[in-house]
Amino acid sequence: MTKATAQDVLRINCLTPTVGVITAIREESSDVKTFRISSLDGLKPFTPNPGQLGMLSLPAIGEAMFSITAQEENSIDMAIKATGHLTDALHQLEEGQQVGVRGPYGNGFPLEYCQGKDMLFIAGGIGLAPVRSMIDYCVKYRENFGTLTVIYGARSKEDLCFKEDLFEHWPQVKNMNVYVTIDRPQEDWKGHVGFVPDYIKELAPTPKVAIICGPPVMIKFSLPALSALGFSDQDIITTLEMRMKCGVGKCGRCNIGSCYVCLDGPVFTQEQLKKLPAEY
Amino acid sequence: MQILEKSKLDDFLQMLAKHQPVIVPTDVDGLSQYAPYQAQMTLLLDGKPTVSPKGIFLPQTEAIYRFKAQGKNLLIAEMENQQTPQVLFFVRHCDVQGIVCLDKVFMSPEYTDQQYAKKREITTIFALRCNGSKESCFCTSMGVDPEKANPAAADVEVYDLGDQFAFEALNERGEKVLSQAAELLSNQDNVILPPVPERKLQLKTEGLPEKLSTTFDAPIWNDFMFKCLGCGTCTYLCPTCHCFDINNKLRGEDGLKLRTWDSCMFDEYTLMAGGHQPRTGKKERIRNRFLHKLQYFYEKHQMFLCVGCGRCLTKCPMNIDISKFVQQVMKEESR
Ligand code: SF4
Ligand code: SF4
Ligand code: FES
Repeated sequence: MTKATAQDVLRINCLTPTVGVITAIREESSDVKTFRISSLDGLKPFTPNPGQLGMLSLPAIGEAMFSITAQEENSIDMAIKATGHLTDALHQLEEGQQVGVRGPYGNGFPLEYCQGKDMLFIAGGIGLAPVRSMIDYCVKYRENFGTLTVIYGARSKEDLCFKEDLFEHWPQVKNMNVYVTIDRPQEDWKGHVGFVPDYIKELAPTPKVAIICGPPVMIKFSLPALSALGFSDQDIITTLEMRMKCGVGKCGRCNIGSCYVCLDGPVFTQEQLKKLPAEY
Repeated sequence: MQILEKSKLDDFLQMLAKHQPVIVPTDVDGLSQYAPYQAQMTLLLDGKPTVSPKGIFLPQTEAIYRFKAQGKNLLIAEMENQQTPQVLFFVRHCDVQGIVCLDKVFMSPEYTDQQYAKKREITTIFALRCNGSKESCFCTSMGVDPEKANPAAADVEVYDLGDQFAFEALNERGEKVLSQAAELLSNQDNVILPPVPERKLQLKTEGLPEKLSTTFDAPIWNDFMFKCLGCGTCTYLCPTCHCFDINNKLRGEDGLKLRTWDSCMFDEYTLMAGGHQPRTGKKERIRNRFLHKLQYFYEKHQMFLCVGCGRCLTKCPMNIDISKFVQQVMKEESR
C-alpha cells in the first residue's frame, strides 16, 4: 500500500494547514454536502491516492479528517455529513469561503493488488464517500480492471449520495453494474427495497475483491454474507474511522493496537483487522 | 574527563548562562521541575524532579500557528521557532531515554515535527548518572543503562564524585558547551567512578511484549476497572507520554492554534463527533495505556515506552502501579 511521502507534506510544520478555497458546494442528500476545494492559486491542494484522507479546518472552530471523494485536475472533493460542531458549521458555508487543508494522509486502497481483478464495491449512506474515490479510479483506468459492481444502500431515497453517478454516469460504463437499494418502500421509488446485507445475499456475487464501507451494522451483517459467498479475508477491504487530531502518528489517539489509523489505515483488509484488538 | 569542584557549580552555571539560557532541576512553588537557571538557585541534585523534562521539548501548551478568520477570508502564518541554543542540565538516564522515545515519535522518518526537532537541535543535554535508587525506580528492567546515558540524546555525561563533578563530553556539541567554562575545569585521567547502586525494584521483562499480545481479553484488566479516577496525573508526569490535543485561543478574528498535552485517560480523548466511543471505560483506557507502553510501542520501535522512572506509580491517587502490573503478567506466565 502506498503512503504519503515526506515530500507530499513537507512543510515547516506538519500540523499547519495551507489555505484553500471552497469553489463549489453540492447537496448530496438531506445531511451530506460535497465541498470542492482548490488552493488559493487555483490548483489542487495536494494529490491523494484513492482512499487517502485530508484534514479540513475552519481554524476558529475545529479541524477534522475526511475522506477525499474525488479529485479533478485542480481540485479535491470532500463529501461531509453534518454530525457535529465542525461539520454543522461547514454545512453553513458558502462558495468562496477559505478553509485550512492539509494532507494527503493514510495508506489508501491497495491499487496494485486490485489491478486486473473484478471489483465489488459495497457501501451504505455516507460510506460511499471513501469508496467513491476508488470507483472513480477504476472508471478512469477502466482497462486495468475486470468487471465493476456497485451495491449501494441508504435509509431512503433522500439519503442516497452521488445520485448522478449512481443513476447516470456509472451505468454507462462498460461492464459496470450498479445496484441501489433503500431500507423501506417509498411511493415514487421503483428500485430495490431492503437492507444491503440481504441484497448481497440476493445478488450472490462471485468472489472477487470487495471494498466495503458503511455504518457498523451494515458491515457487521455484510461480512458473514461475503464469507458465505466465498470471499477471502484478504479480498474484503474496508476503511476505519477514528477520532484524529494530528493525522501524522503523533497525537496518539487513533491507535488500534500498534496501528495508527492515520498512518497505517484507514484502509484495512479483513485479514489485517482480525489480528487487531476489536477496539474501533 | 573534566573535573569541577562542587563548590564552583554556581560559577560554572553562571559562566554558561552568559552564552545561552541554562535549564536546571529546581523547586518552583514546591513542585520540583526543570526551570531557567538563576544565580544562587537551589538545585535538585538528588533523585529526579517530579515533573519530567519532556516539557522542554513538548511544552504543555505550544502555539502551532496563527490565523485570522475574517468573513470568507483566512490567513495562516507559521510561528517562528526558537533559534537560540540552550543547555538542559542534570537529566537522569531514565529521562534521557524518555527523550529518545519522544524522538521516535516526533522525528519519525515519515513526518518530522519541525517544532520538536528544532528544540532538540538547539538543546545540549547534560545527563547525570544515578547515585541512588528509589523504591519505585525500575529503569534497568525497561532497557535503561544507569551506567551510561543513551548517547542518542545525551551530549555530556556528568558523574557525581562527592565533592566534585566529572564531565565527559559524548560529542562535539557537548565539548563546545564545556569549553565555555574551561577555566573552572581541570583535566584528569583515570577518574574512579563510584559504583551505581543496584535497583531495588527489578522486574522480569524478557518476552513481556509477546506475553502481553495474548492478554487483551484476560481478566487481569478487571482489577483496574473501578479504581482509576481518570485524573491524568500519570500521563502528565510521565516522561514519555506524548499525546496531545489541538485547540484554539481566539481574540476576535485573531486566533492561535495550540497544541496542548492530552491524556488517553480522559473520556473525550477518543470520543468521535457522532458520539461513537471506541474505548468505552476506564478498563479499556488503562489497558490501552499499559499496552501502548509495554507492547504496541515495542512492536514498532523495539523499545519500551516506559523508562521505569516510577513517577506514575508514586503519584497516582489510586496507587495504580505499572510495575506491579508487569510483575503480575510475568508471574502468570510461569504458572
Ligand atoms: S494517575 Fe492513577 S487515577 Fe489518575 S488517571 Fe492515572 S491511573 Fe488513573
Ligand atoms: S509509565 Fe510511569 S514509570 Fe513508566 S516512564 Fe511513564 S511515569 Fe515513568
Ligand atoms: S491522528 Fe494523531 S496519531 Fe493518528
